Amino acid sequence: MTATTPGLVLPRRKLLMGASSLAAAPLAMPHIARAADPLRIGVLLAKTGNIASQTEYLANGTYLALEERKNTIMGQPAELVWLDEPSPQAATQNMQKLVEENKVCAILGGSLSSNALAEEAKAAELKIPFICDNAAATEITGKNCNRYTFRLNTPVVVQSRMLAPYALSYGKRWYHITASFAFGQDILRSSRELLKAAGGTEVGSDEVPLNTADFSSFILKIRAAKPDVVVGGLSAGDLSTFLKQWNELGMKGKIPFVEIAIGDTDIWAVGPEAANGTFTKMWYYNNPNNPAEEKAFAAAYMKKHGKPAADKAWMGWITAKSLFDTLDTVKSTDAMKIVEGLEAWKFQAGSTSYSYRRFDHQMLVRNLAVSVKEKITDKWDYFDVKATLPENAADLPKVFGSEEEVGCKMG
Amino acid sequence: MLYDLLPHLVNGLVQSGLFVLLAVGLSIIFGLLGIVNFAHGAFFTAGAYLTLTLHQYYGWPAIVLAPIGVGVIGMISERLLIQRLYDKEPLVSLIVTFALALLIEASVRQIWGGVGQSLPTPPAFTGIIEWGDVIISRYRLVVAAATIAILLSLWLFLEHTPFGRILRAGSRDPEMVGLLGINLPKVLTWVFGLGCAISGMAGLLAAPLWPIIPSMATNAIMPAFVIVAIGGLGSFAGAVIAGLLIGVVNALAAYFWPEASGAMIYVFMALMLLLRPRGLLGERWERFE
Repeated sequence: MTATTPGLVLPRRKLLMGASSLAAAPLAMPHIARAADPLRIGVLLAKTGNIASQTEYLANGTYLALEERKNTIMGQPAELVWLDEPSPQAATQNMQKLVEENKVCAILGGSLSSNALAEEAKAAELKIPFICDNAAATEITGKNCNRYTFRLNTPVVVQSRMLAPYALSYGKRWYHITASFAFGQDILRSSRELLKAAGGTEVGSDEVPLNTADFSSFILKIRAAKPDVVVGGLSAGDLSTFLKQWNELGMKGKIPFVEIAIGDTDIWAVGPEAANGTFTKMWYYNNPNNPAEEKAFAAAYMKKHGKPAADKAWMGWITAKSLFDTLDTVKSTDAMKIVEGLEAWKFQAGSTSYSYRRFDHQMLVRNLAVSVKEKITDKWDYFDVKATLPENAADLPKVFGSEEEVGCKMG
Repeated sequence: MLYDLLPHLVNGLVQSGLFVLLAVGLSIIFGLLGIVNFAHGAFFTAGAYLTLTLHQYYGWPAIVLAPIGVGVIGMISERLLIQRLYDKEPLVSLIVTFALALLIEASVRQIWGGVGQSLPTPPAFTGIIEWGDVIISRYRLVVAAATIAILLSLWLFLEHTPFGRILRAGSRDPEMVGLLGINLPKVLTWVFGLGCAISGMAGLLAAPLWPIIPSMATNAIMPAFVIVAIGGLGSFAGAVIAGLLIGVVNALAAYFWPEASGAMIYVFMALMLLLRPRGLLGERWERFE
């Protein structure tokens, strides 16, 4: 009598052979195994410290740009790997880690100028595309530029040129209070040149260390010097502390204050009672002239986070978008192909066109001149947009400087 | 020249009052528990955030609860974590309290978010007072008065109450205090809570002066450690004197050499420690030497 087994019957040898073949498949077809791995993009932004309030929004904007594409780039899943940027040295170590251990194909970041200057040199050494989304030091796309580095924020020297007419409208006796690191020193240098060209006088200048807790001594010196206007060059938390104490010591409204590159998070931390001044900034969520694409971004941000998108969120979003669009276009993770793709990238939002300039990899963006409202009734909406600078978009290349003026030589 | 410097010195001394409060809290914890509390700045931050929240929901009078809240958090931390460090190497307590600082900062970030927030100056204390060239805000005068009142109360408490005597005795000979039937572990929990509450009080006072951000303690905790080192580890009076000196150094540096003002307190500390390694009023501690 023969025993019968119901259902599918597979001989043992065939079963073993089939299982072995399945196990060995990734070895025989490596491209299939790789397809299962996500495409990794590095994010190098500070997670702690005074700049962390800005980087939170930069990161939120970056993540939102990826979510808009359903976390897919080049038809495969993509993920962001975010490492910290505690100091220039530690940032470059983390950059190396992102490339060598996390195998990222490009890096977004550079929250402070001092970090970004070190990071761009490391990017060139590692031959990895690096898109700087926040730092504004002129040298990044100036004399320190390299083929692998791209930058969004308008260089300090250009923003200073944009702000100068507003400062000069108050008078020609200026007092500088700037941070004693790359960003502040750059502002001081640029502002002094502009003042000299305008025939003005510097009645005082203080370079203050990062994380200064008490500005009272500096404010008393400014008060005694009686300038027409104070030109600031303080960054993030230090600017917020200064403006709070400026108001506390009764100076708000007495001497005008102007500064370039204010972030929404900086002014939110000052509070409506103390906020004042005229500033340049790249983007404002409540600017009625924002194109439809950016209004859609602001709405998506509000829906996801329950609060308005700060300028830094937009900065994270637009830089990430430039990289993700490029990857989708070039369909390669080869560093040089990404670089060439970024050089050719263009994004048209309404009448605004975004692209990186080929000779210095600087994005040409019109800035806003904003002033703190007389009366703040909404806890997020602090600014009146005074102007878009330059008024004519066709003047952008001229305002950002010629190849000779910028001094970038990529070789 | 002195006339020009006077307003700077006055403001510098008032600001250093906040650092003195932090330093005294550190000194009490080190002097009585033998723990160098790296999380002290995090309790300062927690004090500022609790002040902000209490003000938002219950108005100005409620903010006095903020230091009490911070003290309670400190006591819970002591029971769960710190009391396990008393018989360990100093390095272990440094690492654990540093981890506690990171944990508190991350919790603050999680609860309140990373974006800076603002507490206005209490309406009763806005405006400035001018005496010739000396200008000071009313609120800074309140900070100075509060600092003096807190330091005086603490001194009276430590020197002239039975509990204060137990604390001082326990810091020198915990075994003997235990043999006298006093529940020393419970006392130490209260001491840690007290040190943290003082830090929370400094956070409360600083909240209208500074933007409230999760990392706000970085601006205050290093000067506080410098004050403790100059004044002498564990010395209450040393912390007060060193705090005043730091206020003067800060004001002079900001006036004459602003670029270096951040570094001058460290240069001053190095000089003081070269002259007197135990600090101004530091004593020899059998437990640590």
